[in-house]
Amino acid sequence: MSQTEIHLELLLGRKVHDSRGRPVGRIEEVTASREDLECVVEEFHLGPHALLERLSLPLIRVFRGRGHGVRRVPCDRLDLSDPMRPRLTCALEELPVEPD
Amino acid sequence: MKRLVEIALGVVTGIGGFLEAGSLATAAQAGADFRFDLIWAVILGAACLAFLVEMCGRLSAISKHTVPDAMRERFGFRFFMVPLVIMQLVMYLVMATELGGVAIALQLVSGVSYRWWSIPVGLLAWALLWKGTFGLIEKGVSVLGLVTLAFVVGAFHLHPPLADVLHGAIPRLPSHDRAHYWFLAVSILGASISPYLFFFYSAGAVEDKWDVSHLSINRITAGAGMGFGGIVAIGALVVAGVVFHPAGVKVDSFEQLPILLTSALGHWGFILFVASLAVACFGAAQEIALTSAYLMAQGFGWRWSENLPPSDDARFSLTYTLMTALACLPALLGVDVLKLTNISMVVSAASLPVVVLPLLVIMNDRRYLRDYPNGWFANTVVSAIVVLAFALAVASFPLLLTGGG
Amino acid sequence: MLLVRDVLDKQMVDRHGNRMGKVDGVVIRWADDGAPRVVYLEAGAVTLARRLGRRLGHWAAGLAHRWGGRHTESYRIPWNRVRAVTLELSVDVDAEETRVNVVEDWLRQHVVEHIPGGRK
Repeated sequence: MSQTEIHLELLLGRKVHDSRGRPVGRIEEVTASREDLECVVEEFHLGPHALLERLSLPLIRVFRGRGHGVRRVPCDRLDLSDPMRPRLTCALEELPVEPD
Repeated sequence: MKRLVEIALGVVTGIGGFLEAGSLATAAQAGADFRFDLIWAVILGAACLAFLVEMCGRLSAISKHTVPDAMRERFGFRFFMVPLVIMQLVMYLVMATELGGVAIALQLVSGVSYRWWSIPVGLLAWALLWKGTFGLIEKGVSVLGLVTLAFVVGAFHLHPPLADVLHGAIPRLPSHDRAHYWFLAVSILGASISPYLFFFYSAGAVEDKWDVSHLSINRITAGAGMGFGGIVAIGALVVAGVVFHPAGVKVDSFEQLPILLTSALGHWGFILFVASLAVACFGAAQEIALTSAYLMAQGFGWRWSENLPPSDDARFSLTYTLMTALACLPALLGVDVLKLTNISMVVSAASLPVVVLPLLVIMNDRRYLRDYPNGWFANTVVSAIVVLAFALAVASFPLLLTGGG
Repeated sequence: MLLVRDVLDKQMVDRHGNRMGKVDGVVIRWADDGAPRVVYLEAGAVTLARRLGRRLGHWAAGLAHRWGGRHTESYRIPWNRVRAVTLELSVDVDAEETRVNVVEDWLRQHVVEHIPGGRK
């Protein structure tokens, strides 16, 4: 799997399951950081709150609450060997959850 | 001084550009069927248009991005396909009616059927786009469009009872023919609040290289331009109310309409009507063709500008070429232009939510609007317009079926 | 930086400030032995078609091959050319040189210039 190329735009909206096959959410956003002339991918954000985050809808802050916040998946926890069916390399519970 | 000229040009464009096949047809039918009772719909339509246009201008002036740019960038390509496809369909229908309107004007003058005029008109419209610049199109539409003020003059000449006219400015429930009344109300709103106008205006702001210093020009152009433009439509409605309503005339075709101005202005009325119809529809046809190209080019990221020669923006130029060619077909094939106009106004009204709702979101995005996002008042107004747009969308087709024609 | 909010579908601008198309695709290279990196920005009709569906993408790619031969429609810009990420992406290339638009050029040569008034 070295040097595989993946198209970000085709990952958008794909359902992600964890190592036990449970659904986690859809890929809605990807964070990255710029280091010199490189752009290093850091996390995949899943779930409906991530969608709101991407759309930067300020009005929706009111409606958060019932929910788990944004599910952040560090890039090393996501297995993209099959880009059509992304899987977590761990179980759901092991993911850090951002309450805000 | 230069600013004054710009403001004047903007206002004149708004006035001259307001009336076109749809607004004329709906105003005439409204006047004929309900006298002055639907004036409030024209006022409401013009007011909504003014607000929305101001926002589009502000967006483009501050961010240098157009509305289609922002829609694709903000919501993504897959989402963008929805307004893209819907708007192209709507624009196609409306443009077909505009070209039909010009063809009918020529038929009135020459006696030669409008079907023969369809292609020459389309060809002329295309040629001016191909060789012209944005400034030429803009100024042409605005200055020539002032001939439509004949309707306002005509309305005064007929001395309608002022109290009745003012009465009509207040929204009311119909006393008879409910479905038809609301159908016309929806059509009037669809004719006034045309989504293609927002796209065209926002592209124009970028073509004219607007920036922060143009914000007040923008506000005046939108407010006074669209506002006074509404007065032209009201003029047409009032004239129809005075001329057609008492006689119980049913408006079935554009060919009946010259009498509106001949009754008011005598012999000159005929020439002024034909000129108004031809110029108003021609200008609108050009705007729509350009807007169709703007929408494609800005959404897909092609090179675009009416100020560039066609060889520098081939895809953009060929888009308006194709649109113009296809829009000639209905008139060429002898489609009833008035019926087509009624349908296209309703479809246009139904398509509004798809544009206005994203616009509401975009207008609050500080990355685009920086220090000038919508305040609470503007947001309230647009939200109300969104609600209105959804109401129109839901009601439009049932009304077309029960109350149309 | 959020890749979907700030990069995907955004306007690219060349070193002279000319508009250069929108970012239709973002290519990430995922090496087992390192962090995944964004390597290319992609622009082109084939990339867009694929976003609407796999079959559409295949069809568009097939068309592109038949028309363009060696040149596929989608053009790639290396990430290391990106200078700034604001409302647009400033890219250190020259839009004219990169010939981002194979279709644009083809249409110009074979259609626009054959229409009267089309030649500059």
